[in-house]
Amino acid sequence: MQGRLRRLLPAPPPRALLFRSLSSSPPPKGGGDGGSGVPVKQVTRGNLAEVLEELRGRVREATFVGLDLEMSGVTSAPWRDTFELDRDDVRYLKLRDSAERFAALQLGVCPFRWDPAKSAFVAHPHNFFIFPRKELSDCPSHEFLCQTTSIDFLAKYQFDFNTCFREGISYLSRAQEEEALQKLNLLHQDQTSASSTASEGDGDMPLERAADILFTERMKLNFKEWRDVIVSKPDSHLLGNTKCAAGQFQTVFFKMRPAIMLNGFSSHQLQLIEQVLRKNFRDLVYVCTFGEDDTSEKRVVYSDTDEDKILLMKDVQEDLLKSREARVKSAIGIRHVIDLLSSERKLIVGHSCILDIAQVYSKFVGPLPSSIKEFALSIHKIFPHIADTRHLMSVNQAVQKLMKQKSKSLSSAFSFLCPASPSYAMKPSSLSPVKIEVEGDETKSSCFISGAKHEAGYDAYMTGCVFAQLCTYLDIEFDQLSPQDNLATNNKLQKHINLLSPSWNSGTVIDLSSGMERPEPGYMRRYPAPVYDNIVLIWGFMSKVRPKEIKDCICKVFGLGSVISVFSIDSTAVLVQFKKPESVNDFLDLKAVLERTDSAISILHPLSTILEGGQTRAAKYDTYRDICSSSESKYLFADQAEAVCATSENQLQENVDDNLISGVHQSILDGTVLTSVNKGDGTKSGSKNEGDADITCQHILDALHDGRALIGRRMRS
Amino acid sequence: MAAPRAAAAAAASAKQVTRRNFAEAVRDLGAHLESCDYVAVAAQKTGAPTGWRRALPVDTAETAYLKAKLAAESFQPLQIAVCPFLLRNSSPSTLVAYPYNFHIFPRDELQLGMPSYSFSCQSSYLSTMANDGFDFNMCIYDGISYLSRVQESFARQKVFTPHLRPLLPSQSTSVADSVFKSRIKSRIMHWRKGYAEPNKKDDGSLVSSLCRLILGGETYGSRPSISIDVCSDQQVQLVLEAANHISDDLVPLVVPDKAGAARAVCVIFTSSKEDKNLLLMDIQQSTEEKFRGFREVIDLLSSSQKPIVSYNCLNDLTMMHSKFVAPLPPNMHEFMCSLKMVFSNVVDVSHLWRQIGPLRKAKNIQAALSYLQRQYFVPIEIKIPEQDGTSGVTKNEQNVLRITKLFAKLSNLLKIGPEYQLKSGEQYAAVEEYCNVFYPSCMVEDSDDVDFANEPDTAKAVSTDNIIFLWGFRGKSVKELKSYLPGLHQIFSEDFEVKLLDKTCSALIFCNSDTAMQLLKEISSESPSLNSFFSEGLKAAGFEVYRKVCRLGLWDSDLAEALEGVSSEVAASTLSECNSSQIYWNSSLMLDLKEYL
Repeated sequence: MQGRLRRLLPAPPPRALLFRSLSSSPPPKGGGDGGSGVPVKQVTRGNLAEVLEELRGRVREATFVGLDLEMSGVTSAPWRDTFELDRDDVRYLKLRDSAERFAALQLGVCPFRWDPAKSAFVAHPHNFFIFPRKELSDCPSHEFLCQTTSIDFLAKYQFDFNTCFREGISYLSRAQEEEALQKLNLLHQDQTSASSTASEGDGDMPLERAADILFTERMKLNFKEWRDVIVSKPDSHLLGNTKCAAGQFQTVFFKMRPAIMLNGFSSHQLQLIEQVLRKNFRDLVYVCTFGEDDTSEKRVVYSDTDEDKILLMKDVQEDLLKSREARVKSAIGIRHVIDLLSSERKLIVGHSCILDIAQVYSKFVGPLPSSIKEFALSIHKIFPHIADTRHLMSVNQAVQKLMKQKSKSLSSAFSFLCPASPSYAMKPSSLSPVKIEVEGDETKSSCFISGAKHEAGYDAYMTGCVFAQLCTYLDIEFDQLSPQDNLATNNKLQKHINLLSPSWNSGTVIDLSSGMERPEPGYMRRYPAPVYDNIVLIWGFMSKVRPKEIKDCICKVFGLGSVISVFSIDSTAVLVQFKKPESVNDFLDLKAVLERTDSAISILHPLSTILEGGQTRAAKYDTYRDICSSSESKYLFADQAEAVCATSENQLQENVDDNLISGVHQSILDGTVLTSVNKGDGTKSGSKNEGDADITCQHILDALHDGRALIGRRMRS
Repeated sequence: MAAPRAAAAAAASAKQVTRRNFAEAVRDLGAHLESCDYVAVAAQKTGAPTGWRRALPVDTAETAYLKAKLAAESFQPLQIAVCPFLLRNSSPSTLVAYPYNFHIFPRDELQLGMPSYSFSCQSSYLSTMANDGFDFNMCIYDGISYLSRVQESFARQKVFTPHLRPLLPSQSTSVADSVFKSRIKSRIMHWRKGYAEPNKKDDGSLVSSLCRLILGGETYGSRPSISIDVCSDQQVQLVLEAANHISDDLVPLVVPDKAGAARAVCVIFTSSKEDKNLLLMDIQQSTEEKFRGFREVIDLLSSSQKPIVSYNCLNDLTMMHSKFVAPLPPNMHEFMCSLKMVFSNVVDVSHLWRQIGPLRKAKNIQAALSYLQRQYFVPIEIKIPEQDGTSGVTKNEQNVLRITKLFAKLSNLLKIGPEYQLKSGEQYAAVEEYCNVFYPSCMVEDSDDVDFANEPDTAKAVSTDNIIFLWGFRGKSVKELKSYLPGLHQIFSEDFEVKLLDKTCSALIFCNSDTAMQLLKEISSESPSLNSFFSEGLKAAGFEVYRKVCRLGLWDSDLAEALEGVSSEVAASTLSECNSSQIYWNSSLMLDLKEYL
């Protein structure tokens, strides 16, 4: 592939254009075997600084910037998958959980510049490796989660974990940077005040060992000797290389003052030296500084007056502060890229990108806000213009028609909208494609690797290509766009940007500028719209109980049409939606009563199928939200729920009036009567309900077994 | 992927095993296990607990177990080194070792969310591994997958793979059945003829391939096969009978659908008797690989009954139990029982070196080894007959070899094993005497630091009744606390030790348990003498609260936060019924304060 690229490169100009009409190579099939022929710049901590400079210019010139992220996982437990019937707050909790727990491993950034002369876009795909290395010693150690299937998926596409973990660029979020700087300033203040006031030590080490006492005495003599030489012959040391009487010390200069380097002492010895100086010499100061490569340098400095000493210490402290500040600045790392994109206020283009954006926020800005509205508004402040190609595909009739029955994944959209060759037989409906070139930089070709699917850099490039094609469907003519024009304010595009889907199956879009969520036009629901007041969450039933049985036995008690749907969260929990809101409380009361009474009735009762085992719990929908918001992460929902409830035990205990029991007893009897009467058509209703149950079963299968398809959807292939 | 390997101390290197050479490595390992005396085991994981989630000096065996359980459940082993070795008491003593380094990755082979849906990584841990030249790509791309014993039995109920089915004695058949059978028989015969009887030469490849197309030939691996759809068990039986009648070189394989019912029978043609045996073995192996994978090694270790030698046993064996046997039980006792069923004898080398007085203070293997090197003369000749030769030494195999070497020296000094019987009627010690005693490691793991702890060795048994957990002191240092507390209440004028457990909480260890009890009593009754204590925002609780925090698994927050949450409930109830236990309070196991700043 590289060979072919090189042949295409005109030799003489150092910065050659790699000419490629959008299509010159088909997207790679299947796994990452063979690249796409698109050179993608690989950025690690070795070349970040130089790339950053270059990227700044590229982004400034760009019309829009493609963005993509590869993560170490998506869902921390199967029940944390987003479901269509999740309420918006629950959905956000799941998004937040994902963004906070998993690490970002690759960031793809691809600026697209419109070149009027060629009437083509020029793209510069960049692929940044990220690794949350602990750069500052005082930052808490970082722990992140890996989802096994996601890691395996990345491995299938030849993700280079070695480069990522060894050479990945670290980062500090804005919040972390602020905190680190604050800590520094506090430390600095403490030190300056400490050095001026308490010089007489409270932290004296008792000299117990003979070796320590001898060493201390020897040092005392040596320092005294050296000091006497300096004081008696103030000029002699100016000669520079003069060997002082105290043979082992060589005079150097530190901030215009004579000094001794302390090399080769152990940390214990250095402590002793410090103590000697503090106790016995008013005019010798122990100074510790940090050199270029973070190694500490210790010196003894002669300073003749007290004022001079204070001045010296102040000087040293300021140097220290500066070097520490510089260290914090350099620890910002990859966040510079995000800051750069944010400050240029360019149009950011992603594909189904809410999770990417949430990841960017949590890693590079700060902890995610508590509600989706706040999240949307704060994102809007950082990136004022975001376009989602997945959403754009759904707003245009022509595209919808074209993509009918097709997967909405990125690679599928790319191969479909960006045809394989110019001579490709166009469908009558499709428009002529926008030309896109990729610019490589031959002089440093070593850091270019031919892009492959599911590499963030190449995905960012594909996203941008898809976006450019989609724009033509929206009748946006790039030719009439002057470089100064902001594409984001184009009136044909404006109404479609800053609209993101909170999840692939939410059926809604959130407007980032207002924080309001609204239904997405043209979304086909698989389930009836849920009414959250009518929903009961049940968990901890016996593992053999199927969702359909739960539905059947509730129907036996509450009547045939009383349950609208039973949705399986995982094998240990279901959400049951009743037809009437009052059924929720009725169910909870009935359950409590049945658990209290230890009679034959409670065993014979139809609900005993659910209650069998004595571990079954039920609660209203809000409890589901509370469980999702917990920082725990158990694999099974029932375990998670138990863990959450163990800490807030009293919350879930249902209070049942004792006098209610007799009443319910009656209804229990009624219930059993009801079932026996209805037994005849019970079977009929059973078969009628099978349809619903099938859907739920299908969904479980989707969620559990069809891992690959799911990831495909999630990772926005 | 040429990984820059860390400079290795020893030139020896272990056999690197991935899924590509697993089958052959297991065969070799089995043979070596037969002939060896002991097996050393070491694991390289993706992280270790930090902060107060590590084993602390205040932990009892029970709370230390709960912490090890947390670590075992959250982190993932990426390499497991297994080293069977034998000791010969010749002069000098000879150690023959066969180290293997297995790369494992919890790939979800059966798409059931097993063996682990997700796992935690600690970035500082991964960085260190990366710097040491750990090859992550090798591990993730080619690591061997596995299922625990419990997961395997679950998977066997859920997932159905093509399998052989024994032929049942034929029953009376209906007319329809015999028609079906003869039809199938002729179909298979036609198809088989294409392979069994070499074609006439002029038949041309086009014709033969057309022929195959029409007859519905497929391939199973490299062998020709034909798939026959069935819709009932009776039909399966008929197809099996038909295939059986035709020839011995046909292997019928029942292909199940997702629910486990037979969907088709795949009849495979083998060219000879050897070929048939090979195929049968392959079929067996491929299912084994999917359902057991690396666990086969664990099963081998278990069935060999050889003593397992390890360092940091509590952590490594809880990990092995949870990944390869079953989920960890809720308490230490059950764990030890369950572990004994798998590995009856486990030796913790750190327990062994504690038997040698001056070594007691050694912080890690490296320290113990270098002390032995300096102070004792234990010449041991190490032989590693089978070496990989190609790659450098990974950290993990280096560890397992160190364990091996250290064990060899210690067993020489302690006269463990029948090998040391000979000398002038001396009694040898059975290795069993040292088995199954685990030390929670409170020490910094993995550092190559050879320093001994500076502090005097003052491990002493302290009752948990003497311990008070104190929080709310807002970042004061131990020294500050020591001078600050006596001003608040007269109880603090008595002698006590202070240890910081994390940046929010410290433990006060009183010499007298009555003092501690009295303090707790006054706190729970909110005695006015403690007014200044409370108004400073200080809180305190007894060990019972800490135990509850560990039992509930409130690992997510700072220790102060967790204690605060639980203390309100426990305070009143537990003062009366105290079940105290003992900890080994060792002031040398100090926490490094710098980690919390």
